[in-house]
Amino acid sequence: MKTRVLALLAIAVLAVTGTAFAHHGAAAYDMAKPVTVKGVVTDFQFINPHVLITIDVKGDDGSVQKWQGELTSPNHLARAGWTKSTIKLGDTITLMGAGAKSGSSTIWIRKIVGANGEPVSLGGGGDN
Amino acid sequence: MRASLKVSVLPLVGLLACALILSAQSSKQDAAKAPSAPASPHDLSGVWTMHAPTSARGYIGDTFTKDEPAMTPWGEEQYKATKPSNGPRTHTLDTTDDPVLRSCLPPGVPRIYLQPFPLQIVQTPNEVIILYEYDHTVRHIYTDLQKHPDDLTPTYMGHSIGHWEGDKLVVDTTGFNDTTWLDRTGHRHSDQLHVVERFQRTGRDTLQVDISMDDSKALAKPWVSQLVFQLKPDWKIMEQNCADNGSFANFEK
Repeated sequence: MKTRVLALLAIAVLAVTGTAFAHHGAAAYDMAKPVTVKGVVTDFQFINPHVLITIDVKGDDGSVQKWQGELTSPNHLARAGWTKSTIKLGDTITLMGAGAKSGSSTIWIRKIVGANGEPVSLGGGGDN
Repeated sequence: MRASLKVSVLPLVGLLACALILSAQSSKQDAAKAPSAPASPHDLSGVWTMHAPTSARGYIGDTFTKDEPAMTPWGEEQYKATKPSNGPRTHTLDTTDDPVLRSCLPPGVPRIYLQPFPLQIVQTPNEVIILYEYDHTVRHIYTDLQKHPDDLTPTYMGHSIGHWEGDKLVVDTTGFNDTTWLDRTGHRHSDQLHVVERFQRTGRDTLQVDISMDDSKALAKPWVSQLVFQLKPDWKIMEQNCADNGSFANFEK
């Protein structure tokens, strides 16, 4: 229930901010499809146009599924205090956002809960 | 007598020195606390980021007005044929024909304002330079020219001249090619596009830009919009390369 509420909150945030933070539209994602995944960071690319985070998500049966999350530009995140070391390999984090229409294990990230259990600020980078 | 005078004056001198030091420190602190002086209306310099009013947040990242611009039949036909990534007719990165996203072509004017990154204005005696963070895009607005050169070669960002009308910097841009889009939702223009921007520093931290797009081939009447920017004294313009976008077409399939 808590996860669902958080996911809905994430979508609400997206609805308010729109797609203005992105260099392109959100056609690949279903805004009505909130997704929350928790896993271990295996890759973190602090690159343009959008920052990418890859995590390994362990299923109840012990199987591991790779999820890739897309964030805004590193420029906007840098203005919120991020560096290329903000997310560390091996950290267990939670990604919340919109799922891919294609059904692939990708997510448009709107919220992150860090290894310490606290939300990681995605900033705003101003209004654009 | 002289000795006793010395003894009695010395503490006074010391007290005076302390008072002067404290007074100087206090003045410094007051100066630090005092709000910055209002900017000169003719000083547009600084790093600015778009600050959309709440009423505009549903569209301002993608286009200039809530309502569609008045288009000519040609403009309407061109618009319907486009496959934008942004806006209500959104396409994925591998299917859009947006020239910025497909080919990394310069966004043109005024679309450059919709690319979601800040800009820096630099003023020199002969020109106003706008450094947009998006893809190192630069505009030179010549304030030392009275008119555009004859027979301009069409370009993506056009040819800009500017002059002051009271507190407003009026920028006239023409000489566009017909490759760019007016916005991120697929409104096209012809090589007849003529853009007038009026920059006004409406406050110490606020810059208003009134934009008018005129194109007799694509628009039935001028398309006007108003953008508001907020000063960001602590921000620096960073690197942003459009070429990096290419890696995402496959990622989002």
